[in-house]
Amino acid sequence: MIETYSGIRESRPNRYNDLGSTGDAAEEDFRTGCLKKADRSFAQGLQCQQINSMAALMSLEDSVFIAHAPQGCVGCTSMAVDQYRVGQAHRGVKHSKNPRIIVSNLDQNNVIFGGESKLRKAVEEAVKRYQPKLIFVLASCASGIIGDDIDAIVKDIQESTQALVIPIHCEGFKSKICASGFDAAFISINKYILKQEKIKKQEGLINLFAPVSISYADQVEMERMLSLLDLKVNYIPFYSSLEKIKEIPSAQASTSICKVFADEFMKALYEDYDIPYSHTVMPIGVRNTDIWFRGIASVVGKEKEAEEIIQREHERILPLVESIKNRLKGKRVFICGGTGRSFAAAALIDDFGMELVGLETPTYDEDAQADIEYLNTIHPNFVIDIANMQPFEQVNLVKKLKPDVFIGVPEWAAKLGIPTTHVLDMKRPTMGYDGLLFLGNKIADQLENPGFNIKLSQHIKLPYKDSWYEEDAFKYIIGGN
Amino acid sequence: MSEVVENPRGGCVLAGINSVLGAIDRVCPIYHAGPGCCMQSTASDQGQSGNKSSCFVSSVSIPSTNMLEREVVFGGTQKLQSTIQGAIDIIDADAYFVLTGCTAGIIGDDIESITDQFKEEGHQVYPIDTPGFAGDSNLGYEVVWNTMINQVVEEPLKKEENLVNLFGIIPYHEPFWSGNLEEISRLLKKLGLKVNTFFTEHQNMEHIRTSSQAALNIILHPWIFKGPARKFEERFAVPSIRYPGLPIGASDTKRFLLMVGEALNLDDRLVNQVIEEEDDYVYHYLAQSIGTLSWKRFAVAADAGTALGITRYLANDYSFTPVLVVITEPIFRQEDKERIIAELTNLEYARPPKVVFASDQYEINKVLMEEEDLSLIIGSSNEEEVSSLKEVQFIVAAFPIKDRLIFNRAYAGYRGSLTLIEDLYDNL
Repeated sequence: MIETYSGIRESRPNRYNDLGSTGDAAEEDFRTGCLKKADRSFAQGLQCQQINSMAALMSLEDSVFIAHAPQGCVGCTSMAVDQYRVGQAHRGVKHSKNPRIIVSNLDQNNVIFGGESKLRKAVEEAVKRYQPKLIFVLASCASGIIGDDIDAIVKDIQESTQALVIPIHCEGFKSKICASGFDAAFISINKYILKQEKIKKQEGLINLFAPVSISYADQVEMERMLSLLDLKVNYIPFYSSLEKIKEIPSAQASTSICKVFADEFMKALYEDYDIPYSHTVMPIGVRNTDIWFRGIASVVGKEKEAEEIIQREHERILPLVESIKNRLKGKRVFICGGTGRSFAAAALIDDFGMELVGLETPTYDEDAQADIEYLNTIHPNFVIDIANMQPFEQVNLVKKLKPDVFIGVPEWAAKLGIPTTHVLDMKRPTMGYDGLLFLGNKIADQLENPGFNIKLSQHIKLPYKDSWYEEDAFKYIIGGN
Repeated sequence: MSEVVENPRGGCVLAGINSVLGAIDRVCPIYHAGPGCCMQSTASDQGQSGNKSSCFVSSVSIPSTNMLEREVVFGGTQKLQSTIQGAIDIIDADAYFVLTGCTAGIIGDDIESITDQFKEEGHQVYPIDTPGFAGDSNLGYEVVWNTMINQVVEEPLKKEENLVNLFGIIPYHEPFWSGNLEEISRLLKKLGLKVNTFFTEHQNMEHIRTSSQAALNIILHPWIFKGPARKFEERFAVPSIRYPGLPIGASDTKRFLLMVGEALNLDDRLVNQVIEEEDDYVYHYLAQSIGTLSWKRFAVAADAGTALGITRYLANDYSFTPVLVVITEPIFRQEDKERIIAELTNLEYARPPKVVFASDQYEINKVLMEEEDLSLIIGSSNEEEVSSLKEVQFIVAAFPIKDRLIFNRAYAGYRGSLTLIEDLYDNL
């Protein structure tokens, strides 16, 4: 009997969110079971799982998104809204739409007496205004703590509503790992849309799961690569629809563009609909793109074709990579990113002969262990900070390690005068063989011309006291060992 | 009191508080809140303010207790204590303000007992116990000033007769706040005044502490700051004048400067001389491009302060035809609505536009869609969709702004009015 997954990523064994270590020590401690759950007695803000649930779904067609929350809990949709508008422009949509986001706007009264009537009103308005096919109801810290039973309310509303009304349990306080929000969204998609119903298989159809942060250029590149294997892509859930979601169970196989996006869902699809899947890495850089491509190819039994294609792509790309390598070889790198991007970036820099000195990533688990084992064979003694951002730790480490280049959110390292670049570009190419060249040239150009950051650092000081840079970066991580 | 709303403009009260604090030099908010509140509240206001955010700490740089299930069940004051201590130890701020999210508000953590301990040790740590669900970002502006008046502003040691406090331009919730404050401040300085903007020129806690020494509060907004203004008067004997919305262009700014001159009994000759110089400056430019912008029948969808300023300017000074004005923030007092309507009715030559109060995006889109004879829409990034469907000219000039980068661009005052006209140029 398979235990039902709650959607909370912490509930999986051997997963750690608070750790300061080195590549070697972390690998050893994980292997020997010496890592323990820790916490930070001082921390900076995190990303809550509701942000991820919202962002994952927001470009679905004919949908309304209801946040059963105070007004503030749709703040981060501003990023996904922008991404949606730009995404439409890139896809040639003439009249870009706003996503339909309705907030029930819980207030002082509702906190005491409950917010059911407002939730009902929100659903009514959604139906009246847009006659959508899908209405998502997203929980919040407030709705969770006051005990509004959104499942029961939705069940009742559903009886008189044509649109599918789908509750999503993404209460922020339930998880420290924002990727839990992806799982919460997929659990509800499975439960309320797919409903364990098996449908006719479509030979050659692949579910390609992609989060909001994937640019249109990257989508096109992924689809191009899979088409080389004669595979057709069902791109989910970005810019997709109820119809495309309903096609998920008919796929021959599944894969994802991000390590923590739909990984749990793909397991569920395997268990519930016999759909095999490939869970590998984010296809950034030659090595990771190869791994990703081989992964899905082997699931559909096209290993031989894949090797031929990889060979061809390498012949085309590697000479060009070599010219970029000459510009980047030996440079020392600090990387900070989400789970997928950080490890992808770490693998990428090997293509260019760069050296990893520091790695900041949100979670350490079995998946991370596999990456760290690989990285330890190439890079001696790099520092690991298991942190979701925590810029105070980052700047402390960056200042001590003095990397030649920082890859990640540039805001803080830039103020230290370090050249910065990023592998997260939601509007331009990053992935696959073609994305690699764009990315490599970007990194090399930014490293060679660091004037902005150098001059910025001469005028702008980060908010930290000078004494902080003398302290142990992991001073506030308590427990654990 | 709050209503179900589609695509709300801005965040909860926490977002408003955070934006105001983020604009004061070297001030550090500390969140006693859920794990996403720093990011959500920064993204909703600063993030939609023309793609910039506080220079000191913002979003995931803000210290936070990140309250999880354990804190929900057992309370989070211990976590708050170690978080404040950490913030004091590593962040080089002049003052720290502890803010409460919904979680802390609902479970009822007593944050004041914690901040008191730090105060006793001599640290500048102030509690603002107004949880997210208490209201929207506009309320946040007033909450911050009420906090300042109650906890920070000191009894005036002396009065400075040429010192004025500027209120009503809300940092980040108004994307052009910085440039607008700079332009208004430039003009007031020409009148010989010293100006507390609190948010520009690295003004800091010291300016707030001594703001009680001012001779006058100038509120540049049609309705906000009523409560704090009364407190300022009662506690510190600083009177207030209210200019209803942003002054934009020659006529509007002249009216503003005359109002200030009268309130402070300034020398008429000086005031008139400044007005003449500035009039000359703008008309010297306007005269170089006559007829370049074609005649427009326009609609504005914006917060009241911006909507009044733009409508008055384009109608009175630029001879565009105002057709529809949508006031997009919730306004609760009838007297405020009347003040806004009066301003829009009382135009110099133009016939008054239709005025609609609507905060809900669906309703805003609907009234804009129904207005048949429009050739220009001035609004936020949210109105791009309806403008595209109507195929009329559109400029983004009001919060929320996600598709422009705005640093010090100003639409207020004399110079700002020229920038607005530049942005309206349409070569299609």
